[in-house]
Amino acid sequence: MMDELDLLKKDWQKKEADLPRLSYEEIYKMTWKRSSSIVKWIFYISLMEFLFWTAINVAFTDAEAWETIKSMHLYEFTIVMTTLSYIILVFFIYKFYINYRQISYTDSSRELMKAILKVKRTVTQYVWFNIAIFAVSLITSIYGSLRYGPDGKKLVTAAGEAGNEALFWLLITGMILLFVVVFITLLWLFYKLLYGLLLNRLRKNYKELEQIDV
Amino acid sequence: MPTTEIQKTLEHQFVSELELHQNIVHKVCTLYTKDKEAHNDLFQEITIQLWKAYPKFRGEAKFSTWMYRVALNTAITQYRKSKKKVDTYDYDSVIFKVKTEEYDPTEEQQLQLMYSAIRELGDIDKALVFLYLEDKDYREIAETLGITEVNARVKMNRIKTKLRTIINP
Repeated sequence: MMDELDLLKKDWQKKEADLPRLSYEEIYKMTWKRSSSIVKWIFYISLMEFLFWTAINVAFTDAEAWETIKSMHLYEFTIVMTTLSYIILVFFIYKFYINYRQISYTDSSRELMKAILKVKRTVTQYVWFNIAIFAVSLITSIYGSLRYGPDGKKLVTAAGEAGNEALFWLLITGMILLFVVVFITLLWLFYKLLYGLLLNRLRKNYKELEQIDV
Repeated sequence: MPTTEIQKTLEHQFVSELELHQNIVHKVCTLYTKDKEAHNDLFQEITIQLWKAYPKFRGEAKFSTWMYRVALNTAITQYRKSKKKVDTYDYDSVIFKVKTEEYDPTEEQQLQLMYSAIRELGDIDKALVFLYLEDKDYREIAETLGITEVNARVKMNRIKTKLRTIINP
Protein backbone atom coordinates (compact mmCIF):
# COMPACT_ATOMS: atom_id res chain seq x y z
CA MET A 1 0.00 0.00 0.00
CA MET A 2 1.21 3.45 -0.82
CA ASP A 3 1.95 5.70 2.12
CA GLU A 4 -0.95 8.11 2.64
CA LEU A 5 1.44 10.94 3.25
CA ASP A 6 3.29 10.31 0.03
CA LEU A 7 -0.05 10.50 -1.66
CA LEU A 8 -0.66 13.81 0.02
CA LYS A 9 2.78 15.07 -0.97
CA LYS A 10 2.15 14.19 -4.59
CA ASP A 11 -1.23 15.83 -4.56
CA TRP A 12 0.15 18.93 -2.83
CA GLN A 13 2.84 19.40 -5.44
CA LYS A 14 0.35 18.97 -8.27
CA LYS A 15 -1.68 21.86 -6.99
CA GLU A 16 0.94 24.49 -7.70
CA ALA A 17 -0.74 25.18 -11.00
CA ASP A 18 -3.96 26.28 -9.29
CA LEU A 19 -2.38 28.89 -7.01
CA PRO A 20 -3.17 32.56 -7.53
CA ARG A 21 -0.56 34.56 -9.45
CA LEU A 22 0.39 38.18 -8.93
CA SER A 23 1.96 40.34 -11.59
CA TYR A 24 5.30 42.11 -11.30
CA GLU A 25 3.45 45.42 -10.85
CA GLU A 26 1.28 44.07 -8.03
CA ILE A 27 4.31 42.77 -6.13
CA TYR A 28 6.24 45.97 -6.78
CA LYS A 29 3.43 48.02 -5.21
CA MET A 30 3.48 45.79 -2.14
CA THR A 31 7.12 46.58 -1.38
CA TRP A 32 6.02 50.18 -0.75
CA LYS A 33 3.28 49.33 1.72
CA ARG A 34 3.71 49.72 5.46
CA SER A 35 4.26 46.73 7.65
CA SER A 36 1.73 45.77 10.30
CA SER A 37 3.92 43.25 12.09
CA ILE A 38 3.88 42.63 15.83
CA VAL A 39 7.43 43.92 16.00
CA LYS A 40 6.34 47.27 14.68
CA TRP A 41 3.41 47.50 17.09
CA ILE A 42 5.61 46.61 20.05
CA PHE A 43 8.07 49.25 18.94
CA TYR A 44 5.41 51.98 18.76
CA ILE A 45 3.74 51.02 22.02
CA SER A 46 7.11 50.91 23.77
CA LEU A 47 8.07 54.35 22.52
CA MET A 48 4.80 55.69 23.91
CA GLU A 49 5.51 54.04 27.23
CA PHE A 50 8.96 55.54 27.47
CA LEU A 51 7.56 58.95 26.60
CA PHE A 52 4.66 58.61 29.03
CA TRP A 53 6.77 57.69 32.05
CA THR A 54 9.44 60.24 31.27
CA ALA A 55 6.74 62.92 30.93
CA ILE A 56 5.34 61.91 34.32
CA ASN A 57 8.81 62.23 35.83
CA VAL A 58 9.35 65.66 34.31
CA ALA A 59 5.85 66.94 35.10
CA PHE A 60 6.13 66.11 38.79
CA THR A 61 9.47 67.79 39.31
CA ASP A 62 9.01 71.48 38.40
CA ALA A 63 10.34 74.35 40.53
CA GLU A 64 7.21 74.55 42.66
CA ALA A 65 7.35 70.85 43.33
CA TRP A 66 10.98 71.23 44.48
CA GLU A 67 9.89 73.86 47.06
CA THR A 68 7.21 71.55 48.43
CA ILE A 69 9.69 68.69 48.47
CA LYS A 70 12.17 70.85 50.44
CA SER A 71 9.50 71.84 52.96
CA MET A 72 8.70 68.16 53.44
CA HIS A 73 12.38 67.34 54.16
CA LEU A 74 12.46 65.04 51.17
CA TYR A 75 14.99 66.99 49.08
CA GLU A 76 17.92 64.57 49.24
CA PHE A 77 15.63 61.60 48.88
CA THR A 78 14.01 63.03 45.74
CA ILE A 79 17.37 63.98 44.19
CA VAL A 80 18.60 60.42 44.63
CA MET A 81 15.36 58.93 43.32
CA THR A 82 15.25 61.21 40.25
CA THR A 83 18.90 60.66 39.35
CA LEU A 84 18.47 56.95 39.78
CA SER A 85 15.37 56.81 37.61
CA TYR A 86 17.06 58.77 34.80
CA ILE A 87 20.10 56.50 34.85
CA ILE A 88 17.81 53.50 34.73
CA LEU A 89 15.72 55.05 31.95
CA VAL A 90 18.85 55.46 29.80
CA PHE A 91 19.85 51.89 30.57
CA PHE A 92 16.40 50.60 29.58
CA ILE A 93 16.32 52.55 26.32
CA TYR A 94 19.77 51.21 25.46
CA LYS A 95 18.71 47.64 26.24
CA PHE A 96 15.47 48.10 24.31
CA TYR A 97 17.33 49.36 21.25
CA ILE A 98 19.87 46.50 21.36
CA ASN A 99 17.12 43.89 21.72
CA TYR A 100 15.08 45.50 18.99
CA ARG A 101 18.02 45.47 16.59
CA GLN A 102 18.46 41.75 17.18
CA ILE A 103 15.07 40.90 15.68
CA SER A 104 15.57 39.27 12.33
CA TYR A 105 13.07 37.38 10.22
CA THR A 106 15.93 35.46 8.62
CA ASP A 107 16.78 33.76 11.93
CA SER A 108 15.21 30.46 12.85
CA SER A 109 11.64 30.70 14.13
CA ARG A 110 12.76 30.01 17.67
CA GLU A 111 15.42 32.73 17.64
CA LEU A 112 13.00 35.22 16.11
CA MET A 113 10.25 34.59 18.65
CA LYS A 114 12.75 34.70 21.50
CA ALA A 115 14.01 38.08 20.27
CA ILE A 116 10.49 39.54 20.00
CA LEU A 117 9.55 38.36 23.48
CA LYS A 118 12.81 39.79 24.85
CA VAL A 119 11.97 43.27 23.56
CA LYS A 120 8.57 43.07 25.15
CA ARG A 121 10.08 41.83 28.43
CA THR A 122 12.45 44.81 28.61
CA VAL A 123 9.55 47.20 28.27
CA THR A 124 7.52 45.37 30.90
CA GLN A 125 10.46 45.55 33.30
CA TYR A 126 10.70 49.28 32.68
CA VAL A 127 7.01 49.74 33.39
CA TRP A 128 7.19 47.79 36.66
CA PHE A 129 10.22 49.78 37.67
CA ASN A 130 8.25 52.99 37.11
CA ILE A 131 5.29 51.71 39.05
CA ALA A 132 7.60 50.94 41.96
CA ILE A 133 9.14 54.43 41.80
CA PHE A 134 5.66 55.91 41.56
CA ALA A 135 4.43 53.97 44.61
CA VAL A 136 7.47 54.89 46.72
CA SER A 137 7.16 58.59 45.78
CA LEU A 138 3.47 58.56 46.58
CA ILE A 139 3.97 56.99 49.99
CA THR A 140 6.85 59.29 50.97
CA SER A 141 5.08 62.45 49.83
CA ILE A 142 1.88 61.58 51.66
CA TYR A 143 3.94 60.85 54.76
CA GLY A 144 5.92 64.07 54.24
CA SER A 145 2.87 66.26 53.87
CA LEU A 146 1.27 64.76 56.96
CA ARG A 147 4.41 65.22 59.05
CA TYR A 148 5.46 68.65 57.77
CA GLY A 149 2.62 70.15 55.72
CA PRO A 150 0.44 72.73 57.57
CA ASP A 151 -2.85 70.84 57.10
CA GLY A 152 -1.21 67.51 57.76
CA LYS A 153 0.22 68.70 61.06
CA LYS A 154 -3.22 69.86 62.22
CA LEU A 155 -4.70 66.51 61.31
CA VAL A 156 -2.05 64.57 63.16
CA THR A 157 -2.35 66.79 66.25
CA ALA A 158 -6.14 66.44 66.22
CA ALA A 159 -5.80 62.69 65.99
CA GLY A 160 -3.27 62.73 68.82
CA GLU A 161 -5.56 64.82 71.07
CA ALA A 162 -8.43 62.45 70.41
CA GLY A 163 -6.12 59.74 71.68
CA ASN A 164 -6.01 57.53 68.65
CA GLU A 165 -2.92 58.53 66.73
CA ALA A 166 -1.98 54.90 66.12
CA LEU A 167 -5.37 54.21 64.58
CA PHE A 168 -4.98 57.31 62.40
CA TRP A 169 -1.66 56.12 60.97
CA LEU A 170 -3.06 52.65 60.47
CA LEU A 171 -5.98 54.06 58.47
CA ILE A 172 -3.70 56.26 56.37
CA THR A 173 -1.38 53.37 55.62
CA GLY A 174 -4.34 51.17 54.72
CA MET A 175 -5.75 53.77 52.36
CA ILE A 176 -2.44 54.31 50.59
CA LEU A 177 -1.93 50.58 50.21
CA LEU A 178 -5.44 50.17 48.83
CA PHE A 179 -4.87 52.98 46.36
CA VAL A 180 -1.55 51.50 45.19
CA VAL A 181 -3.08 48.03 44.81
CA VAL A 182 -6.05 49.36 42.82
CA PHE A 183 -3.75 51.44 40.63
CA ILE A 184 -1.42 48.53 39.90
CA THR A 185 -4.33 46.18 39.19
CA LEU A 186 -5.82 48.61 36.68
CA LEU A 187 -2.46 49.05 34.99
CA TRP A 188 -1.88 45.31 34.95
CA LEU A 189 -5.28 44.77 33.32
CA PHE A 190 -4.48 47.43 30.75
CA TYR A 191 -1.22 45.70 29.84
CA LYS A 192 -2.82 42.29 29.81
CA LEU A 193 -5.27 43.60 27.24
CA LEU A 194 -2.78 45.60 25.21
CA TYR A 195 -0.08 42.97 24.84
CA GLY A 196 -2.30 39.97 25.43
CA LEU A 197 -4.18 40.58 22.20
CA LEU A 198 -0.96 41.14 20.32
CA LEU A 199 1.22 38.41 21.75
CA ASN A 200 -1.02 35.51 22.77
CA ARG A 201 -0.48 33.53 19.59
CA LEU A 202 3.24 34.24 19.56
CA ARG A 203 3.63 33.05 23.15
CA LYS A 204 1.64 29.92 22.41
CA ASN A 205 3.77 29.15 19.35
CA TYR A 206 6.99 29.76 21.25
CA LYS A 207 5.91 27.34 23.98
CA GLU A 208 4.91 24.78 21.37
CA LEU A 209 8.33 25.00 19.75
CA GLU A 210 10.13 24.79 23.10
CA GLN A 211 8.17 21.67 23.97
CA ILE A 212 9.33 19.90 20.83
CA ASP A 213 12.92 20.27 22.00
CA VAL A 214 12.41 19.00 25.55
CA MET B 1 26.25 54.17 -9.67
CA PRO B 2 24.31 56.64 -7.51
CA THR B 3 22.44 55.24 -4.52
CA THR B 4 18.99 55.60 -6.05
CA GLU B 5 20.14 53.64 -9.09
CA ILE B 6 21.46 50.85 -6.90
CA GLN B 7 18.22 50.88 -4.97
CA LYS B 8 16.23 50.58 -8.19
CA THR B 9 18.32 47.69 -9.45
CA LEU B 10 18.00 45.94 -6.12
CA GLU B 11 14.25 46.43 -6.11
CA HIS B 12 13.91 45.18 -9.66
CA GLN B 13 15.99 42.13 -8.79
CA PHE B 14 13.89 41.44 -5.72
CA VAL B 15 10.49 41.84 -7.38
CA SER B 16 11.55 39.63 -10.29
CA GLU B 17 12.79 36.89 -7.95
CA LEU B 18 9.64 37.07 -5.85
CA GLU B 19 7.43 37.02 -8.92
CA LEU B 20 9.20 33.86 -10.00
CA HIS B 21 8.94 32.14 -6.62
CA GLN B 22 5.62 33.57 -5.43
CA ASN B 23 4.09 30.09 -5.19
CA ILE B 24 5.94 29.51 -1.93
CA VAL B 25 4.35 32.57 -0.35
CA HIS B 26 0.90 31.70 -1.69
CA LYS B 27 1.17 28.22 -0.25
CA VAL B 28 2.10 29.57 3.19
CA CYS B 29 -0.82 32.00 3.00
CA THR B 30 -3.31 29.29 2.07
CA LEU B 31 -2.20 27.17 5.01
CA TYR B 32 -2.28 29.94 7.57
CA THR B 33 -5.34 31.96 6.58
CA LYS B 34 -8.98 31.17 6.08
CA ASP B 35 -10.26 33.76 3.66
CA LYS B 36 -9.12 35.70 0.64
CA GLU B 37 -8.68 38.98 2.46
CA ALA B 38 -6.48 37.44 5.15
CA HIS B 39 -4.53 35.61 2.44
CA ASN B 40 -3.75 38.89 0.69
CA ASP B 41 -2.87 40.64 3.96
CA LEU B 42 -0.42 37.91 4.90
CA PHE B 43 1.04 37.88 1.38
CA GLN B 44 1.65 41.59 1.64
CA GLU B 45 3.25 41.36 5.08
CA ILE B 46 5.53 38.54 3.93
CA THR B 47 6.52 40.63 0.89
CA ILE B 48 7.38 43.57 3.16
CA GLN B 49 9.44 41.37 5.51
CA LEU B 50 11.24 39.78 2.55
CA TRP B 51 12.00 43.17 1.05
CA LYS B 52 13.24 44.49 4.39
CA ALA B 53 15.53 41.49 4.82
CA TYR B 54 16.66 41.44 1.18
CA PRO B 55 19.76 43.65 1.59
CA LYS B 56 21.00 41.12 4.17
CA PHE B 57 20.26 38.17 1.89
CA ARG B 58 23.37 38.48 -0.34
CA GLY B 59 22.82 35.15 -2.02
CA GLU B 60 24.21 33.07 0.85
CA ALA B 61 21.46 30.56 0.38
CA LYS B 62 19.13 29.87 -2.48
CA PHE B 63 16.53 32.61 -2.83
CA SER B 64 13.73 30.08 -2.38
CA THR B 65 15.29 28.55 0.77
CA TRP B 66 15.60 31.96 2.32
CA MET B 67 12.00 32.72 1.32
CA TYR B 68 10.65 29.67 3.17
CA ARG B 69 12.21 30.95 6.35
CA VAL B 70 11.00 34.55 6.18
CA ALA B 71 7.52 33.54 4.97
CA LEU B 72 7.00 30.96 7.71
CA ASN B 73 8.43 33.25 10.37
CA THR B 74 6.03 36.00 9.35
CA ALA B 75 3.07 33.61 9.40
CA ILE B 76 4.02 32.21 12.81
CA THR B 77 4.61 35.58 14.49
CA GLN B 78 2.01 37.74 12.81
CA TYR B 79 -1.00 38.76 14.87
CA ARG B 80 -4.13 37.43 13.23
CA LYS B 81 -7.73 37.70 14.25
CA SER B 82 -8.81 34.21 15.19
CA LYS B 83 -12.10 33.26 13.65
CA LYS B 84 -14.66 31.83 16.01
CA LYS B 85 -16.12 29.47 13.47
CA VAL B 86 -13.43 26.98 12.65
CA ASP B 87 -15.34 24.63 10.37
CA THR B 88 -16.67 27.07 7.84
CA TYR B 89 -14.38 28.65 5.32
CA ASP B 90 -15.90 31.46 3.36
CA TYR B 91 -13.12 31.05 0.88
CA ASP B 92 -12.79 27.85 -1.04
CA SER B 93 -9.07 27.77 -1.28
CA VAL B 94 -7.87 26.10 -4.45
CA ILE B 95 -5.23 24.08 -2.75
CA PHE B 96 -7.68 22.09 -0.68
CA LYS B 97 -9.91 21.12 -3.55
CA VAL B 98 -9.27 17.60 -4.63
CA LYS B 99 -9.64 17.06 -8.32
CA THR B 100 -12.40 14.50 -8.54
CA GLU B 101 -11.64 13.23 -12.01
CA GLU B 102 -8.13 12.18 -11.12
CA TYR B 103 -8.67 10.06 -8.03
CA ASP B 104 -10.73 7.16 -6.91
CA PRO B 105 -13.31 8.03 -4.24
CA THR B 106 -11.46 6.53 -1.27
CA GLU B 107 -8.26 8.35 -2.11
CA GLU B 108 -10.12 11.55 -2.62
CA GLN B 109 -11.85 11.21 0.70
CA GLN B 110 -8.56 10.41 2.44
CA LEU B 111 -6.87 13.45 0.96
CA GLN B 112 -9.77 15.67 1.92
CA LEU B 113 -9.66 14.37 5.48
CA MET B 114 -5.91 14.93 5.72
CA TYR B 115 -6.14 18.47 4.36
CA SER B 116 -8.79 19.45 6.85
CA ALA B 117 -6.77 17.82 9.66
CA ILE B 118 -3.74 19.88 8.65
CA ARG B 119 -5.82 23.04 8.76
CA GLU B 120 -6.65 22.31 12.39
CA LEU B 121 -3.00 21.87 13.45
CA GLY B 122 -1.16 24.49 15.52
CA ASP B 123 1.07 27.03 13.76
CA ILE B 124 4.28 25.12 14.47
CA ASP B 125 2.97 21.70 13.46
CA LYS B 126 1.60 23.29 10.30
CA ALA B 127 5.07 24.65 9.50
CA LEU B 128 6.56 21.17 9.96
CA VAL B 129 3.97 19.54 7.70
CA PHE B 130 4.35 22.31 5.13
CA LEU B 131 8.12 21.88 4.89
CA TYR B 132 7.65 18.11 4.73
CA LEU B 133 5.15 18.43 1.88
CA GLU B 134 7.59 20.74 0.13
CA ASP B 135 10.08 17.88 0.18
CA LYS B 136 12.54 19.51 2.54
CA ASP B 137 14.88 17.23 4.46
CA TYR B 138 14.90 17.11 8.27
CA ARG B 139 18.09 19.13 8.47
CA GLU B 140 16.47 22.06 6.69
CA ILE B 141 13.21 21.71 8.64
CA ALA B 142 15.17 21.72 11.91
CA GLU B 143 17.26 24.73 10.88
CA THR B 144 14.24 26.73 9.74
CA LEU B 145 12.37 26.23 13.00
CA GLY B 146 15.36 26.25 15.33
CA ILE B 147 14.97 22.77 16.79
CA THR B 148 17.22 19.71 16.63
CA GLU B 149 16.99 17.34 13.68
CA VAL B 150 16.13 14.39 15.93
CA ASN B 151 13.28 16.25 17.54
CA ALA B 152 11.97 17.45 14.19
CA ARG B 153 11.87 13.82 13.08
CA VAL B 154 10.15 12.66 16.28
CA LYS B 155 7.56 15.42 16.05
CA MET B 156 6.88 14.76 12.38
CA ASN B 157 6.39 11.04 13.08
CA ARG B 158 3.84 11.93 15.74
CA ILE B 159 1.96 14.15 13.31
CA LYS B 160 2.09 11.38 10.70
CA THR B 161 0.57 8.91 13.15
CA LYS B 162 -2.09 11.44 14.04
CA LEU B 163 -2.98 11.98 10.38
CA ARG B 164 -3.08 8.21 9.80
CA THR B 165 -5.52 7.62 12.62
CA ILE B 166 -7.72 10.33 11.19
CA ILE B 167 -8.01 8.63 7.81
CA ASN B 168 -8.04 5.04 9.15
CA PRO B 169 -10.04 5.22 12.35
